[in-house]
Amino acid sequence: MRSNNMVAYNFTLAMQSFKRAPTLYFLIMLTLSIGVGVLCANLALVNSMASDPIPEKSANLFHINMNTWPDDQPPDEPMHILRYRDAMAIAASDIPKRSAVFYASGVYARDIESTNMKRFDSDVRATTPGFFELTNAPFAYGSAFATSRGMEVVIGDELNQKIFAGKDSVGKTLELDGELLTIVGVLKPWVLRPLFYHVTEGRAFNLTDDIYAPLETAIDLGWSIHARNSSAVDYAGISETRGLDVYYLQAWIELEDVNQRTSMQSFLDNYTQGLKDAGEHPLTIKNEIHNVKEWLKVNKVVDQKVLAFTLASVLFLSVCIFNASSLLLSRFHAAKFEVGLRRAIGASNRHMLMQGLTESVLLGLFTGVVALVLSWLFLKLSVQFLPRLANVAVLEPKLLVLGMLLALVTSIASALYPLYRANRYTISAELK
Amino acid sequence: MNIKALLKSLLLRKFTTGLLILQLAITLGLLINSVILAVDTNNKLAENTGLDAENTLIISLHPTSGDYRDLDYYRSIVSEDLQQLSKLPGVEAVSLINQLPINTRGMLGNVYDLDDPEIVHRDKYLQDSKIFLTNEGLSKTLALSLLEGRFLTKADQLDFGSDKNGNVLITQSLKKALYGDESALGQETNNGRIVGVVKDIMLNPTIPVDKQYGVFGNRVMEYIFTGRYYLLKVSAGQVESVRNQVSDTILAVQAERDIFRVYTMAEHMKRFYRHDKGLAELFLMLCGLMIFVTAISSYAYSQFHISRQKKYIGIRRALGARKKDILLYVLTENWLVYSIGCALGLLMALGFNILLSQYISLSKPDIMLFLLTSAVLFVAGTLATLIPAIKTSNIPPVIATRTV
Repeated sequence: MRSNNMVAYNFTLAMQSFKRAPTLYFLIMLTLSIGVGVLCANLALVNSMASDPIPEKSANLFHINMNTWPDDQPPDEPMHILRYRDAMAIAASDIPKRSAVFYASGVYARDIESTNMKRFDSDVRATTPGFFELTNAPFAYGSAFATSRGMEVVIGDELNQKIFAGKDSVGKTLELDGELLTIVGVLKPWVLRPLFYHVTEGRAFNLTDDIYAPLETAIDLGWSIHARNSSAVDYAGISETRGLDVYYLQAWIELEDVNQRTSMQSFLDNYTQGLKDAGEHPLTIKNEIHNVKEWLKVNKVVDQKVLAFTLASVLFLSVCIFNASSLLLSRFHAAKFEVGLRRAIGASNRHMLMQGLTESVLLGLFTGVVALVLSWLFLKLSVQFLPRLANVAVLEPKLLVLGMLLALVTSIASALYPLYRANRYTISAELK
Repeated sequence: MNIKALLKSLLLRKFTTGLLILQLAITLGLLINSVILAVDTNNKLAENTGLDAENTLIISLHPTSGDYRDLDYYRSIVSEDLQQLSKLPGVEAVSLINQLPINTRGMLGNVYDLDDPEIVHRDKYLQDSKIFLTNEGLSKTLALSLLEGRFLTKADQLDFGSDKNGNVLITQSLKKALYGDESALGQETNNGRIVGVVKDIMLNPTIPVDKQYGVFGNRVMEYIFTGRYYLLKVSAGQVESVRNQVSDTILAVQAERDIFRVYTMAEHMKRFYRHDKGLAELFLMLCGLMIFVTAISSYAYSQFHISRQKKYIGIRRALGARKKDILLYVLTENWLVYSIGCALGLLMALGFNILLSQYISLSKPDIMLFLLTSAVLFVAGTLATLIPAIKTSNIPPVIATRTV
């Protein structure tokens, strides 16, 4: 009961203190909340760029790099893009639980039953069927296609909204660059941040694809490659590429057990050794497998510019804390007489400290609320300045909590020295 | 003015002075680096690209219907597009190209003289030469300037599916890399026979200016599906009127096309540097906030100090110090703090520069910049302390007679 009374009493004192010097406290709150707001906005960006998009199995999914370029002038070593026969050898291995081999393409899509001739620019993932289970793609209607051949597609939610107003479109037929393909599945809204299965070529924060088409079908139809591709030979169209040294496919595998990684590595090494023995592998064998987190790191998914700015905003916050600290010091100094008096009539150091802390916590709470509003604003502002971040700028609940905590901590931190000083004021000095 | 006495008085309030100095140093450190970032970006944007950026229009587009898989149909439509576009008033030349200058990636390839394929190991940039598939209109649309030989002509266009390489135009730096000071005319490369050398244009701003290797071949009709951009050279002052007509002109030829953007080469360049510019602006915004916060601190610092020194200042006034002297005293005291802060700020700027360059590329700070930014800080700080300083100088000598 008594402690409750003390809390209420401290609270009243704090409010009185705020009222007595409103401008000063407003300035403190403003500077601290700007500091926390800016930092929090940046942390939100870093957080969503550095997050694990598939936590349930990111340790079990592996991306494969190989070094099978046919002469001694490879564009990269090793390469994240594979040629058809190497990718198929991986897909044929029975070590992984499942695999996905794909390339990115694009087509224009339209519902053949529609009277509207408008076609929608759609990103395509031309893939083997293992992709859906490997990435845990969420189905709203229907299911995945069963083989890499067949005139069937799965479409994403956004395209389904655009063409079919979000209704169950399984069984409908789409005209894709002049070809007719049937929808067998529709995905739910699917956010992968980062888009782990394709982080290269600056695509890490692209949205998930609009259309998922069977790999062999896409190759047969000659759907062009929209991401990185390198070739050691001239070719007229993608439909010719199966037997050629054209590198454009990315391969992912899912291992049941993380310990199978070594056996997968030796599988790859054996495969390439076979090529070497046949005189088809002039470069040093260099096969790399990376799990999701490693792959995100290798590709520097976290924007370096944002990291640099985060560094600057940490410095800015420290300036804000220093500022608040010196403002509080002058406030406490001005209230010296009151403090001295209160101590003279029996308030202990502990009481004075508690009172000071109550004030800071209260101030911190106000700061936190303002800071969260500001961080939302700064996030919008950052996207204005760095439009590439548009898909990354989200304030997750944990960031809101972090922002609040940061506000409290900074508020208390800036009051520490002033409080310490205030506790040393003696009544005798004041009454002199 | 007695600096020693001033220093002593500052030492009396180590904590607040220390905090202010630290703030000043951090502010200066950030300010210097932000200005460097902004200057760097502006320099990049002002760099000579060798292009007539304002009067070159780019149209990026893609067909939407399956009919375009018939390449002859595709070619006939594109030819008609170019024909119609060239008729627009104000259009001086039109061409078609697979990729744009001022870009990091795109279609890249090895380039070497057939007699010396090994050269690509000695100069790695040769492995990433830009391969332009274009037509004979390019020399006019990009206003290329010829150094030797001739431009590409209609006759250089190969028959479709031909396995010959044909004639190519190369950039000056590529010529230097392959042939030094000798003439390149008539030389055979893996990409074709060189018929002309043009002055460099900015192909990839992220690599050195003398490594702008580019090869231009008259082959875009053969690989028509790579012809993603139409380039228009427009008479000065006509850009807007042409820009407003291109979409309708193209769609009137055949409507099943998606026209992504119609923009000038200058806008393309701005877009390329958009993120650098955005970052610099963010940094400058942060600096503005920081100067504001530091100004508040300076104000609070003087105010706090004066409230403690009222009596002494009163005594000084009573002993004959004029208002002017007191004002100067307070300001000098602040300037001393700023000087220490700025000196420390220089170290901070260097440290911060090293730290930042781990994430982004930026130039080193120079002394002029340091002096300039320090001046900004001095002005801001002086303005902030002016009110408390004037207030102080108004302290009447009579204060001295009150309680001692």
